Amino acid sequence: MLTLYHWEPNANSGKPMLALKEKGVAFESHYLDLLNFDQHSPEYLKINPNGTIPALVHDDLLLIESTAIMEYVDQAFDGPQLTPSDPYERWRMRWWMKYFDYYFAPSLSMIGWSVFVGPSVRERDPDELRAKIDRIPMKERRIAWQKAIYNTFSAEELAESGRRLDLGILKIEAVLTRRPWLAGETYSLADANAYNTAYALPFSRPDSCNDEKTPHLMEWLRKIYERPATQSMASMGRTTLVSRMALLAR
Amino acid sequence: MLELYHGEPNLFSLKPLIVLKEKNVEFVSHHVDPLKDASYENRFLPNDEVEMNMEGEGPILVHDGRVMTDSFFMSIYLDDVFSPMSLRPAGAEAHWRILAGAAGFGQLLGPAVSTLGVFRYLAPVLRKRGADSIKAVLAARGFQERREGWTALLAPEDPAELIEDSRRKVGLGIGKIEGILANSAWLAGDSYSLYDIDSFALTHCLTSLTPDLLNQTTAPRMMNWLERIRARPAVQAALAMSLTGKPEQAFLPGPEHSRWG
Ligand SMILES: N[C@@H](CCC(=O)N[C@@H](CS)C(=O)NCC(=O)O)C(=O)O
Repeated sequence: MLTLYHWEPNANSGKPMLALKEKGVAFESHYLDLLNFDQHSPEYLKINPNGTIPALVHDDLLLIESTAIMEYVDQAFDGPQLTPSDPYERWRMRWWMKYFDYYFAPSLSMIGWSVFVGPSVRERDPDELRAKIDRIPMKERRIAWQKAIYNTFSAEELAESGRRLDLGILKIEAVLTRRPWLAGETYSLADANAYNTAYALPFSRPDSCNDEKTPHLMEWLRKIYERPATQSMASMGRTTLVSRMALLAR
Repeated sequence: MLELYHGEPNLFSLKPLIVLKEKNVEFVSHHVDPLKDASYENRFLPNDEVEMNMEGEGPILVHDGRVMTDSFFMSIYLDDVFSPMSLRPAGAEAHWRILAGAAGFGQLLGPAVSTLGVFRYLAPVLRKRGADSIKAVLAARGFQERREGWTALLAPEDPAELIEDSRRKVGLGIGKIEGILANSAWLAGDSYSLYDIDSFALTHCLTSLTPDLLNQTTAPRMMNWLERIRARPAVQAALAMSLTGKPEQAFLPGPEHSRWG
């Protein structure tokens, strides 16, 4: 029995979704609506007390931490190998996943929460929203929701996130000029991880990420977009987020 | 040829040192102090993974020309390449446990322990010596975040809020380790693994850095686990590489606290 608790094919949720699709592993999808605070419901907290997504349940084993789940999926199931066979490329795969997880994705996410998540929920009943915030188990996530709902992001922190993204885009372009995939010569978990953060860059940072300035990054995004596994993952999206992927169609 | 550039055997530098000693691999040790030799990294540049080292002044491994940063991932590499004595139990579940655990503690404890350590031991020294003492290291680090890790130490006062939040994170981490050890002898299960090495390196200084948070009353199992690891000959050998005799007081600017989430 294999059940994935996830939201949109995006950021952390998208990582295990894409790994499972690339492996060709069938799984039961349990969609949690992040904008409806499903991830903090008492039923879900019984599964993952952190109240965060994604979570994968394999028989009686509960797995969290999206990137570690990707490595689990690659090891536990048959199907194409998504980890390079060379140990140095494996090191590089992990280094770049961490770069996305701790550095690049949080900057993009902060901006995403200010322009998408916050405005999507802000208009609801203030008492209801307060109650929803109160039941969030992790302090860091509680702060994130407060900022999104009451729109208290500082101009400095948003600008700093933008600076990091623009710099990161140049770094990724430079890396992809030297090799076809993030870890080396083959498509790996690092590309699947990064794609889920980066696919919307041509939409959200059009001045920094485009065919003129970052042709290798654009080509890399399109190649991943065209993979059958990516298409199958995208079909699981329910909001407008996933429509931004379609900009990558040639 | 295998070379490790590392600082005093504490936190990030301690991890690969323990792994190398556990696996009994010969290597060339370059014990570096960025305050004395600020530009030792320059020989590797341009190199994104060195320049943007997310561990701040963490160790650098060089194996036959392959240059690697990130103490945990280089430890996996060492475990992959040098046999025998695997430091990872077989199977996808153990693999996940080690990766998820190290990622979680890395994000929670890495920045928090570094913050408490640098403000206790390094900041007072730098403030006394003045801004000139870090001029060379600032000039040698191209990555803005790494420069900010150093300049923060020159502020006239300790950042009270950040220190309080770091203590909160350290307390949370101790509680989590204590909880895992209620169910198994070692963090990944029945055997000593990279997960123990990773977490030991991040926390063994806490018995002296935050004795009110980590002691026989707050976390007896963790205290016993630390003792079991400290007693290992490989760990003794790694700690004995200290030049100061007090590795648990050696701190350099480490990873950033997470800005979002
Ligand atoms: N380190 C975790 C982070 C999980 C996480 O924070 N996920 C976000 C969504 S991308 C979440 O669950 N947010 C829910 C909330 O803030 O309420 C992972 O990689 O899985």
